[in-house]
Amino acid sequence: MKNLSFKELKALSDELRSDVVFNVSKTGGHLGSNLGVVELTVALHYIFNTPQDKILWDVGHQSYPHKILTGRRGKMKTLRQTNGLSGFTKRGESEHDSFGTGHSSTTISAGLGMAVGRDLKGRDNNVVAVIGDGAMTAGQAYEAMNNAGYLDSDMIVILNDNKQVSLPTANLDGPTPPVGALSRALSKLQSKRPLRELREAAKGMTKKIGGSMHRLASKVDEYARGMISGAGSTLFEELGFYYIGPVDGHNIDDLVSILKEVKSTRTSGPVLIHVVTEKGHGYHYAERAHDKYHGVVKFDPETGKQFKNISETKSYTTYFAEALIAEAEAHKDVVAIHAAMGGGTGLNLFQRRFPTRCFDVGIAEQHAVTFAAGLACEGLKPFCAIYSSFMQRAYDQVVHDVDLQKLPVRFAMDRAGLVGADGPTHCGAFDVTFMACLPNMIVMAPSDEAELFNMVATAAAIDDRPSCFRYPRGNGVGVSLPPGNKGVPLEVGKGRILREGERVALLGYGSAVQNCLEASSILDKRGLKMTVADARFCKPLDIALIRNLAKSHEVLITVEEGSIGGFGSHVVQFLALDGLLDGKLKWRPMVLPDRYIEHGSPLDQLAEAGLTASHIAATVLNLIGTPRETLYWK
Amino acid sequence: MRCYKGSSILATGHHPFFYKRPVSSLPASFPSTTLSYPTRNRFLSTRIQARLIHDDPVKQSEDLSFYDLLGVTESVSLPEIKQAYKQLARKYHPDVSPPDRVEEYTDRFIRVQEAYETLSDPSRRVLYDSDLSMGFSFSFSGRRRNRYHEEVVDEKSEWKKKWQTQLSGLKKRSNQRDNNSMSWAARMRRPHHTSEDSSS
Repeated sequence: MKNLSFKELKALSDELRSDVVFNVSKTGGHLGSNLGVVELTVALHYIFNTPQDKILWDVGHQSYPHKILTGRRGKMKTLRQTNGLSGFTKRGESEHDSFGTGHSSTTISAGLGMAVGRDLKGRDNNVVAVIGDGAMTAGQAYEAMNNAGYLDSDMIVILNDNKQVSLPTANLDGPTPPVGALSRALSKLQSKRPLRELREAAKGMTKKIGGSMHRLASKVDEYARGMISGAGSTLFEELGFYYIGPVDGHNIDDLVSILKEVKSTRTSGPVLIHVVTEKGHGYHYAERAHDKYHGVVKFDPETGKQFKNISETKSYTTYFAEALIAEAEAHKDVVAIHAAMGGGTGLNLFQRRFPTRCFDVGIAEQHAVTFAAGLACEGLKPFCAIYSSFMQRAYDQVVHDVDLQKLPVRFAMDRAGLVGADGPTHCGAFDVTFMACLPNMIVMAPSDEAELFNMVATAAAIDDRPSCFRYPRGNGVGVSLPPGNKGVPLEVGKGRILREGERVALLGYGSAVQNCLEASSILDKRGLKMTVADARFCKPLDIALIRNLAKSHEVLITVEEGSIGGFGSHVVQFLALDGLLDGKLKWRPMVLPDRYIEHGSPLDQLAEAGLTASHIAATVLNLIGTPRETLYWK
Repeated sequence: MRCYKGSSILATGHHPFFYKRPVSSLPASFPSTTLSYPTRNRFLSTRIQARLIHDDPVKQSEDLSFYDLLGVTESVSLPEIKQAYKQLARKYHPDVSPPDRVEEYTDRFIRVQEAYETLSDPSRRVLYDSDLSMGFSFSFSGRRRNRYHEEVVDEKSEWKKKWQTQLSGLKKRSNQRDNNSMSWAARMRRPHHTSEDSSS
């Protein structure tokens, strides 16, 4: 690739672009972001040499052209599937992927670490971190820039500015401007027309007046530039980055010239190149769509039409939004907060109905949580909708700002458990563990969509302490919904028994209850009637229910789609303290294994984790002494 | 000190900002522009000054901002913009305008359309708002559509000049950089740097 001429590079970009569209149309995945960085990727690989040089892609969802150019073109049809290529960068996948990403705003930090490591080891390579303007809204990016400016290591940060902050940067009715004051500042950087015309005018005028005035006017020009350029470039320069830009991100010639110059500059210190791109550039349908085809399922490249599955039930995300709207209609203090995920959390629906009661804070989960805490102080009922996996970032804020002060913030954690094609970076394995260990938090999980409506109502009613509930990715199971979408608050700390049986009891938490029901149907055919219970609450536990199950059954299995230390651990803690383990009871936990489950289809992942209905049934049979039967199942 | 207050000086002959076009008559429906910037009072005096120097009794539509053309406030929402535009388009469309005012109404119609195209696209609106806040109201030639957009495109050639300057600045700077610097990396970069362990 190094020997190509500029014209050939342009042709390469066009080919690469069609390759991306073609591949994503067959597998689904992220489209718009990848189309926006085709020229940038080509320019980077032309000038730099991975794996010695390090290129870091923030979030990683725009790394498809990078993967194609670094030897994985043939494998692109396995993208985001079991045993196939990851949808993000991954160190284990290729030596050209310098750093694993998935959550945003980490590349400047990692890049600085690599630059400093290189300096300490006396090496000579380049480090380039590509980060978007959306990821720039996160605090970590500034923490990293602050440190980079201080340490002064040579590194390049490419700010990929496509004016997209939230996902999607559109509400249900059309495009919206990106959220946050930073985006305005970046826009100002791009539009310097007034300055130019002013300078032309001033030059014209002073030339008429005479020589000394001309010099004075150019001084004026210097000052004017500083003032009128405003918050933008000065911000980066004050942080210690040399600012270059704006640059047209779809012009290969420009990109190559700039990168070449910067690469050849010794002792540059940290440099920030502000590249302006268009999300979805080069594919007609993506350019015009409000969401710029950020994430798509399989589609037809000719027409741009996606092949969406028609399902009888809606997603849990949609049900959550509908439930919250119903609560907000009943209580005017209900407000919703999310971190740049209006589409993913369903809150775009809420925003359309209550535009002044929905807050998108940009990619800033930590701020979102403390912001919600502040709202709760003033008597509002804040619902913080943050994915289980992204909540990890805001953990201290949950503990210190919310739980310690017992503020009634409600956390709605979508994408709990295994999430399918996005893989371990987005997997919500740990939320039960880290929420249930907090003294004041009420922790619950719905087993189906009707329960979700009720739990939203329950959370709205809990006004004296924080609460949270988790629900998985995917669609509802098809139970009937409460009238008017308005749930009924549940009694806190009370579970329910779904099927009566004997000898063996399955106590499920959250979506795992559905697998328990299926397992009980499997074993029913073999003549074993099991009890299936839905715990509903992990904190406070329904101790009456647990005592009852423990005393009237031989075997108790707790099932959850979470890591060790979660629901099962709380149950066994209680059993032990209550003396219920001192008798003949056999208790077994079924949790996610102690390793990261790779991306793949949800069913494959569940099987890999050992939590399918068959696995549950097999565990039961092992315990009551007929292991041979289990050999006949998959 | 704000440079653009010098617009009064510029009125003496050099007009980079205000594109003067002769207008045949003054429709009574033009709103008074002194009321048009409720949130921008600090620029009001400048604009009045500029108006007086122009010495023009006719309120020209070029002097109106896009918000004025649509008859809305600056904090208006997208559906309201759409509604205002539809009403005005129906009113000023050449096919329905009174015969003696066709040219003026057509001109107005085109401006209203331009205003709508800019204000209905959030990113262009943001750019326009920021220009407006700095006191530059670009009156556009009524003829060309997408003139605002084209100006954005023209900017790209401006960008190139800018970053070329920045690159040469970077080169110059890097020659001098580490001479006096005590930053961590500058110390690492010095050729006679010995390993960290030897310092006590």
